[in-house]
Amino acid sequence: MREKPWFPVLYMFVITAFFSSILIGLSRFTRERVEVNQQLAVEKAVLEALPIELPPEASSLELHQTFLERIKDPSPASGGAYVLIAGDKVVAYAVPLEGKGYWDTIKGFIGIDSDMGTVTGISFYEQSETPGLGAEIAQPPFRSQFVGKRMAQGNRPLGFLPVGSVLGESEVHAITGATQTSTRVERIINEDLLSWRSGVLSRGDSAL
Amino acid sequence: MSAVAEREPASPRPRPRKRESALRKTMKEGLWDNNPIFRQVLGICSALAVTNLVLNTAVMCLALTWTTALSCLTVSLLRDWTPHRIRMMVQTLIIAFYVILVDLALKAYWPEMSRSLGPYVGLIITNCIIMGRCEAFARSNSPGMSFLDGLFSGLGYSFVLLMVAVLRELLGMGSILGVPVPYFSTAWDKWIIMVMPPGAFFTLACLIWIFRSIRSGEEEKSA
Repeated sequence: MREKPWFPVLYMFVITAFFSSILIGLSRFTRERVEVNQQLAVEKAVLEALPIELPPEASSLELHQTFLERIKDPSPASGGAYVLIAGDKVVAYAVPLEGKGYWDTIKGFIGIDSDMGTVTGISFYEQSETPGLGAEIAQPPFRSQFVGKRMAQGNRPLGFLPVGSVLGESEVHAITGATQTSTRVERIINEDLLSWRSGVLSRGDSAL
Repeated sequence: MSAVAEREPASPRPRPRKRESALRKTMKEGLWDNNPIFRQVLGICSALAVTNLVLNTAVMCLALTWTTALSCLTVSLLRDWTPHRIRMMVQTLIIAFYVILVDLALKAYWPEMSRSLGPYVGLIITNCIIMGRCEAFARSNSPGMSFLDGLFSGLGYSFVLLMVAVLRELLGMGSILGVPVPYFSTAWDKWIIMVMPPGAFFTLACLIWIFRSIRSGEEEKSA
């Protein structure tokens, strides 16, 4: 049989069918988990941008519970932002950030207080910046700078300055050695905040 | 096991005169005499791309070692059946199979790592070390020996990569596995270039230079 001219075709067919069916089976088996992981990453980022006390070692389930209890899904009235509520009152908004980074798309959230001016935090759930440099945007030292900053009026709500310079109330330090990532993140934040702010303000103050 | 030695075309070196056990020889070949990185200079793309953090590198090394060992085993198991003309297609299929398994596992159970390795997991498929070992060894040797050959080639790749990664993370970020190292995290002026792609070229070139110098010393002695 092995000498027949059609044997290689049959062989390739059988072997491809064999290995592919294992892979198809396994990817079905893990698909749900992969989707849940992606959803959880988004929920975690929303919570991290908002002023909520999270236990430092919170499990995915706890995070998911908190998310379901405290967060309202984006609506046109909130300008596309997730809303943190306490009782009936709006506490803060998690404004989605999205744009091109140095290597790939960066996605995250920036939290804005219900006074529409104070930053409550920032988080990223998708980024492929250079590890150790641009990727530091997702690390606490960079992110914690944003808490309590005030959004400036005009078309540049938040500014990035080189490390070492004196900061105003709406400025943070960029990342040394990651100029590309820093300028792009600055642009993403400002563009998304501006369009969100004008969207919500044009609807009047009753933003919910 | 002299048959093994004769069918080993990847090695340009004369056989050692001393008779070594087959296991010992395979081990020494993969880790040192025929090391994929500094001897054969294969699989350099990933050696340059993922070595700025030790943790990422370790996962990459595990994935590559797993793929090489099991692909070699599978290629060897199928070697009597696989028609000669389509063997490369079959090898690619087998390699892709094991790499996709790793990719699926990372996506489902370690999404953060999957995200930070990005496309490099999938690119293991094109890593020359694996197909090199399949072609040079697995397709003409027994499954057991092929598995060990793949395993030790993977480990040979791993130890060089981990050295590159430790140097890059230490000099570039002052930490190892994310843990700050005294002196390097404080007084040391961090070399940002080590974290950037050029840092990988410098580090790897220096390591290849050092290892080859050691080897050429050995060669002179044995000659």
